[in-house]
Amino acid sequence: MNAPDLLWLVVQDAFWSAIAATGFAMVFNVPRRTLFGCAIAGATGHALRTLLMQGLNMPIEPATLAGATAVGALGILLSRRLRAPALIFGVCGAIPMVPGLFAYSAMIGFIRFAGADAATGNELLVTATINLVKTGLILAAIAAGIALPILLFRREKPVV
Amino acid sequence: MIDTTHVAPKPPLTHDVLTDVIDLALWAGQMLLANGADSARIEETVHHVGTGLGCDWMDILVSPNALVITASSGGEFRTKVRRVTRLGVNFAAVDAINDLSRRIDMGLADRAAVRAELRQIADAKPLYNRWLVVGMVGASCAAFGRLFGADFPVIAVTFVAAAAAQLVRQELHKRHLNPYIIVVLTAFAAGLIASTATVLSIGERPNLALAASVLLLVPGVPLINAAEDLIYGHAVTGVVRGLTGALIALCIALGLLLAMGMMGVQGL
Repeated sequence: MNAPDLLWLVVQDAFWSAIAATGFAMVFNVPRRTLFGCAIAGATGHALRTLLMQGLNMPIEPATLAGATAVGALGILLSRRLRAPALIFGVCGAIPMVPGLFAYSAMIGFIRFAGADAATGNELLVTATINLVKTGLILAAIAAGIALPILLFRREKPVV
Repeated sequence: MIDTTHVAPKPPLTHDVLTDVIDLALWAGQMLLANGADSARIEETVHHVGTGLGCDWMDILVSPNALVITASSGGEFRTKVRRVTRLGVNFAAVDAINDLSRRIDMGLADRAAVRAELRQIADAKPLYNRWLVVGMVGASCAAFGRLFGADFPVIAVTFVAAAAAQLVRQELHKRHLNPYIIVVLTAFAAGLIASTATVLSIGERPNLALAASVLLLVPGVPLINAAEDLIYGHAVTGVVRGLTGALIALCIALGLLLAMGMMGVQGL
């Protein structure tokens, strides 16, 4: 993929991710002053993931880890600037990266596997398991990525 | 042993004042736990509220559905347990209590002011108009569909399905149904409408509408809090929050599969 195409793809990606993050931010009733920050966090994380996957052919799991780390770091910056809990930006920013399609495919795969016979079952089971493992790894990458910057940069003395 | 030699000793609180302080601290902690704060934040905030209002020390035990707090002052101490049953997400409340605890810590709020402000936070209405939320949730799931590679007819179906599902969720929430039943019924509603894309063969990959329209139910807050709690050593709350998230995911699958079965859709 050449550079202008890639750029256009990432811009579109950021746009849709921002919408996804904003909708969830409203469901979570975030303070109004943080709403724009949530959209930015959502756009940054997912667009970075897409850039790494399309531009560098990175697999989805490490790309998610990078995207979530960016969300976590951005969350700390925004939480200092806007004096709001970093959790708000972390949760809303991670939402667009949620492996919804993998989880759905795994679910459908296992349901179909339940009704399969010996001849067709093998392929169904392998596909479903791959989707399940991908779902788990992507979720773990999101959680680890968001926590990473907080663990690295916020080493205040605990008050409790 | 905590070194307190560098601070002037606080005057000991009377028994009645201590009772009042622990009630305020429990109230703040209860609202944090009920609205989606992670355990480390609850512990820290409750500690600030108690010590800021004159206690020498606070000990807080955060359990998945209860708080135990001991407030100490002089030779006196009081311990109270509070059950926290209905768990949801309201980040505006978490933010407001966080801000309040910071001001209490700086000595800018007395007990009467704290009580008034906590009452105000507890009574606050949702920040966003419910119809705006319905529309934005629809747009959110439609955006997910787009990110999955759906074409515009499928995105339109996703929008309608997710917006209708959010409406169902709001109505069921008002009627105080069991939270898991709400998830099943909401996923069912989304699945019914999203199935029409497959039944009427709308767009190129109509199954993407099914996958995207239930994403409004994704248990993002329990799962991320579970990870944070585990990392910061709150293992019990972490594991329980993780299980809660997994149970919600199963409820989504159940509702969706019921709808697909009824509509005779394979979902591929």
